[in-house]
Amino acid sequence: MNKKFWLLVALLVIASLVVACGGEPAAQDGANQAEDVAEEPAAEEPVAEEPAAEEPVAEEPEPSADGVREIRWFIGLGAGSNPEEVEREEAFVELFNEAYGDKYRLVMDVVTNETAYDVLKTQFASGDVPDIVGPVGVRGMYSFEGAWLDLAPYIESQEYDLSDFNPALIEFYNLGTQGQIGLPFAVYPSALWYNKDLFDEAGLDYPPHEWGAPYADGDEWTFDKLRELAMYLTVDANGNDATMPEFDPDNIVQFGYHPMWTDIRGAWTFFSPASFVGEDGAAAMPDAWREAASWHYEGMWTDYFIPNSSYVNSDFLAQGNTFGSGNVAMNPNHTWYTCCFEGANWDVAAIPSHNGQITAKLHADTFVIPAAVKDPDLAFEVLSLMLGEFADELVDVYGAFPARISLQEEAVARMQEAYPDADLQVFVDALNYPDNPNHESGMPNFLKATDVYTSFASLYETDPNLDLDAELDKMVIELDKVFKEVEP
Amino acid sequence: MTTLDRVEPPDTAAISSPVRARRKRLSGKERWERKWGLFFISPWIIGFLAFTLLPVLATLVFAFTDYNPVRPDDMSFVGLKNWNTLLHDAKVWKSLRVTVTYALLAVPASFIFGLFLASLVNSYFLVGQNIFRTLYYSTSMIPVVAAGVIWGGVANTQTGWLNLGLEAIGIKGPDWLNDPTWIYPLLVLIGLWGVGNLMLTLLAGMQGVPNDVYEAAVIDGANGWQRFWRITIPMITPVIFYNLTLMLIGAFKYFDLAYVLKNGTGQPQDATLFYALNFYKNSFEYNLMGYGSALAWVQFVIVLILTLVLFGTARHWVYYAGERRS
Repeated sequence: MNKKFWLLVALLVIASLVVACGGEPAAQDGANQAEDVAEEPAAEEPVAEEPAAEEPVAEEPEPSADGVREIRWFIGLGAGSNPEEVEREEAFVELFNEAYGDKYRLVMDVVTNETAYDVLKTQFASGDVPDIVGPVGVRGMYSFEGAWLDLAPYIESQEYDLSDFNPALIEFYNLGTQGQIGLPFAVYPSALWYNKDLFDEAGLDYPPHEWGAPYADGDEWTFDKLRELAMYLTVDANGNDATMPEFDPDNIVQFGYHPMWTDIRGAWTFFSPASFVGEDGAAAMPDAWREAASWHYEGMWTDYFIPNSSYVNSDFLAQGNTFGSGNVAMNPNHTWYTCCFEGANWDVAAIPSHNGQITAKLHADTFVIPAAVKDPDLAFEVLSLMLGEFADELVDVYGAFPARISLQEEAVARMQEAYPDADLQVFVDALNYPDNPNHESGMPNFLKATDVYTSFASLYETDPNLDLDAELDKMVIELDKVFKEVEP
Repeated sequence: MTTLDRVEPPDTAAISSPVRARRKRLSGKERWERKWGLFFISPWIIGFLAFTLLPVLATLVFAFTDYNPVRPDDMSFVGLKNWNTLLHDAKVWKSLRVTVTYALLAVPASFIFGLFLASLVNSYFLVGQNIFRTLYYSTSMIPVVAAGVIWGGVANTQTGWLNLGLEAIGIKGPDWLNDPTWIYPLLVLIGLWGVGNLMLTLLAGMQGVPNDVYEAAVIDGANGWQRFWRITIPMITPVIFYNLTLMLIGAFKYFDLAYVLKNGTGQPQDATLFYALNFYKNSFEYNLMGYGSALAWVQFVIVLILTLVLFGTARHWVYYAGERRS
C-alpha cells in the first residue's frame, strides 16, 4: 500500500512539474496567439489536415531538422495586436515564409497592447526572449531600457544600406550608451488638422496649407495668429465667442484649439524642438518651452480657447478625442489620427511658426532586437529583410508612412485614395520640419522622469491659480533629482 | 482486536486534552485515509507551494537585491539599500498618508452606510424586502473598472450628473476628479457602491439575533433605538469585527479604482498615490522589482500589525455569547 501511494505521489509531482515547466507554453506559440486574437474558430483550422512541413510545431528546437531557423516576432508593444492588423500580419508572415521558408520561419507572438509589457517582461525574466520586437514606439523602447541589442556592429558587418533614410531618423534611434537600438521603419509627420465646418460657420478663412505662408489676411501664420482665430472659434452656450466680454467660460460648447493625445513635451515642441535634459545632463527648462507653457496655460485659463482637463474629459468632447467630437476647430496631430474619427469635414494645414521657426513634431516606429537574443546575427538578418526587401508590405500592414524615402511618394498616393478631399501634401512637406531633438527623446530614468512632468501637466491643466514660473522651476528640480538617481 | 478498539468508550482524558488527543496513535485505516487525503489535496498543496509560498519567499530575497525583470542577469545583492531608500522616499510617506487618509474616511463611511442599509432591509415594516436587498446588493456586482469609468463621467465638472444635480439646487459643485481634497469624498462615494457584501453579512448577523431578546426588551420598555443600540449592535459584534478587519486590510490594498479613475498617475497632486499604487509603479512600471519587494513586505507588516491590534481589542468589545475565545 505504501509503495503504491508514494508511487502515485511521485507521479503526480512529476506530472505537475511537466505541466508547469514543460516546453514552450501555448501562450507563446505565435501562430496560436495570432489565431486567438483574430478569433478564428479552431474548427476551421484542422491541424491534422495541414501538411507537417507547412505548419511546424512552434515548440520545435531551432534549427529544425530541415535546417530552417525559427524567428519569433513579438507584436503588441505598439501597433499590431488589433484583429484586423493581425490578419494583415499573418498575410505578411505567409509572404515572408514563402520567399525565405527554406532558411527562416517567421512566427508571430501576438499579445494585446494592454498586457504586452507584462508578458514581455516575464519573457525577459524567464530568459525566453523573442528574436524581434515591433513595431514599437519610443515609450515602448524606454520601458525596457538597456534590454535592446546595439545594432551598429551588425549594420557594419552585414553592410546594411542606410542611404534610403533621413540621417536624423537614424540618429533618433541612437540612444547614447545603449547604441543604435533600432532602424527607421515608419514615420508619422504632423500637421494642423482643422474642422472646415466650424471655420465656415465662423466665416473665417482656412489656415494656410503651404508651410511658412501667411494667413489669408496677410498676417504671418504664427501661434499668436492661431490664438486670435481660436478665440473666435471658441463659443459658449449662448453663442458668444471668447473675444466677447459676455463670454461665459463655465459653459463653453466649442473650442478653438487643442493639442490632443500628447503630453506637454509634445504640445510645447511646436514652439521649438527642445528637451528637459540640458547640455550638462542636468534637468533644464528651455526658454521656448517656458513660453509655450505660458501660452497654453493662458489659453486654458485666461483666453479659454484650449479646453482644460475637465472639459477634455467631458462627454461633449468625446472624453479626450476632442477633435473627433466635432467641437474643436484645430488640433495639431499626426497622420495616424485618421484612425480615430469619422464624419468631420476636415483638412490639414501648416503648423504656425514661433519666433520665426516652424516645427512639425514627428512620431516614428521601429523594430528592435533584445540584447539577450540567442542568435543576434540571425535576428538582424531577418530584421533587415523585413525592413528592406519587405518594407513596402510591412508598412502597408500598419497603414504607416514609410521611413524609406524611396517608398514615400507611393504611400501618399495610396493615402490620397482613401482621403481624396484632404491636402496630404501638407504631411509630406511636414517632414522638412521635424523636431530634433524629438519630443519623445530619451531622458535619464525615463519612466520616472515622465511621471514628474506628467504630474506637473496634471496640475497646470486643472489649477487656474498657479504661479506658473515657480511650478515650472519646481518641476525642473524634481526632474533633476530623478535624473541623478541613475547617475553612475 | 480492531473491532474492539473501535467500540471502546471515548477516551475522556483525550477529549479534555486536545494535545493528548492529537498524539493518539492512529489506526491503520486512519493512516491510510490520511495518506489518501493528503494525496487528493496534494495538487493544491503543490500549487500553493509553487505559486504562493515560493514567490512570497522569493520577494523576501528580491528585497535585498536590485532585481530588474528586464535585465535579470544583472541582479546583484544590495544589502539594506532598498530598505534605506524606502525610509527616505518621500513618495512612500506620501502614499502612506494617502492610504491612511482614505482608510479613515472610507472605513467608517462604508461601515455606517452598510449598517444603515442592513437595518433598513431587515426592517419588519419594509415592503418588498427582497427587492430592496437585491437592488442594494446589485451595485457591488459591477466590476470596479466599469464603475470607475462610469463615475469618471458622473463626476465630470462640466457634464457629470453629480455637479449638474448640485447646480440644480444652486450649489456649484467642486472639481471632484482634479481637486486633491475632493477626490477622497468621491472615492468614498464610489466605494459605497460596493457595500452590498457588508450589508448582507450584517443582515445575516441581525437575523441571527434571537427574537425573545427583543421581546424581553419591549416588555421592559426599551424603545427602537435602545433595542438597536443595546441589543442588535452587541449581538452582531462578531460580524462587525469580521467586516472591520476585512475593510482595514482592503483599505491598505486599495488600488484598482484609483488606477482606473486617474490612469494610475496618482493625480491630482499625488492624492491618489495609494501605497499599493506606488508599489505597483515601482515594481511593474519602473521595473524596480527589488525595491518593490521591500515595499510589499512593509505593507504586509503594517497590515499585520493593524490586524493584530484589532484582534487585541476584540476581547473588549466583541461579544461571543457563551463561547470562550482564546
